[in-house]
Amino acid sequence: MEKKPLFDKLRTILLEQDWEERKELAEKLEDLDDQLNSRDRLEEKVQPILQDQQEHFKNNFPKLFGPQITETISKQIKDSQDEVVEALYPIIGRMIKKYIASEIQKLSEKVDAQMELAFSWEGWKVRIKAWISGTPQSEAMMSQLIDPKIEEIFIIEKNSGLLMGSFSKNQTVDQDMIAGMLTAIKAFVEDAFAGGEQELDSIDYDNFKIVVKSFNSFFIAIVASGGMNAAFKDRIDSTVLEFADKVLRKARKGDDEEVDQKQISGSLEEYFNDFDNVDQ
Amino acid sequence: MSISKKVILVGHFGVGKTSLIRQFVHQKFSDEYLTTIGVKIDKKELQVDGMDVTLIIWDIAGETEQNKVPASYQLGAHGVLYVFDITRPSTYQNLHEQVNHMQGLLPNAPIQILANKTDLLTPEECESILGGIDFQEVHQTSAKTGLNVEEAFRLLTKAIVS
Repeated sequence: MEKKPLFDKLRTILLEQDWEERKELAEKLEDLDDQLNSRDRLEEKVQPILQDQQEHFKNNFPKLFGPQITETISKQIKDSQDEVVEALYPIIGRMIKKYIASEIQKLSEKVDAQMELAFSWEGWKVRIKAWISGTPQSEAMMSQLIDPKIEEIFIIEKNSGLLMGSFSKNQTVDQDMIAGMLTAIKAFVEDAFAGGEQELDSIDYDNFKIVVKSFNSFFIAIVASGGMNAAFKDRIDSTVLEFADKVLRKARKGDDEEVDQKQISGSLEEYFNDFDNVDQ
Repeated sequence: MSISKKVILVGHFGVGKTSLIRQFVHQKFSDEYLTTIGVKIDKKELQVDGMDVTLIIWDIAGETEQNKVPASYQLGAHGVLYVFDITRPSTYQNLHEQVNHMQGLLPNAPIQILANKTDLLTPEECESILGGIDFQEVHQTSAKTGLNVEEAFRLLTKAIVS
């Protein structure tokens, strides 16, 4: 009997498991090598991890980096005060100018009203009438004036002039076209007359006034009738700012392209339907 | 639910932009020429690929060069119709330059070129003129007869929503 076949048989018996394991290991190694060197396969494996990390980073960015960013900004502001002042001066200067103008207007209205009340014949007539009827003088005085009222509100996308939402007590005009024309008028005035970064604030016609409030990507046009005074304008300002912050910012979060016109219009109604009836 | 899109019509003065809109929106034509001052806005609702689209159409006053038109009128447009008068070479001589300018200003908006007033020439004359204009796609229109007017707006809307 030959020794070699027996020896081969013995080797097979003893090393078979090792061979299989080696083969398996080699296959695994080859597969791993293929995974590492094939862009598609590597991408397939790594992409979900990267996406998860990206999502995690996106969601936790303020938490992770908020304090550092705030600290960096504070330091930057501290270290380069001149540059910051230079950058903010035009904006703050304009804001201060507007605020002072509005306060002066309020003061002038107050003085006018007091002078009128004290010296005019109308004032005396109202006083006597109020004294006879027993109603407070202030109430009788107010009823002599035409109360300002909000007639319509349009929220318009800045560049395209497309209507994002509207509120109207009359529903007489095509609001899409009005939004477009208001955008064109605003653009024309700002291009033709405004120096620098100034923007159209209001349009007056007859007994109506269109107050324009500009934001970054949209503007709000408020059509009001009656004697618009500074206090009413102030109230509009704060309500519009609150509305922009609470409703419009949320509406814009979902999709950059389209906003829900119905939702915005509904919220406008909630905010402004009873606006004129609120006691000042 | 309907989506709104801004479409602008640009081109030289007197090429028939206002008439094209009048024909498209109101199915009317008038020979009387009234120059557009600044901008005029119209609206038309149509259905494209099962989608309700409201077109807000800005008819911008004609200028020989588009860089003279206030950019604020053009910004935010979702589509552009560049109109020229096929009978007046001066309105299409610098077509490439003008279209390039518009593409630079509105890189994502589809632009369609309309050769208007084709009713004033024979089909052969139109073909011969358009043959000399090195542009891939120019649509022949006539605001007077209504030729291809609706189609031009529809094609543009389709390109916008697709």
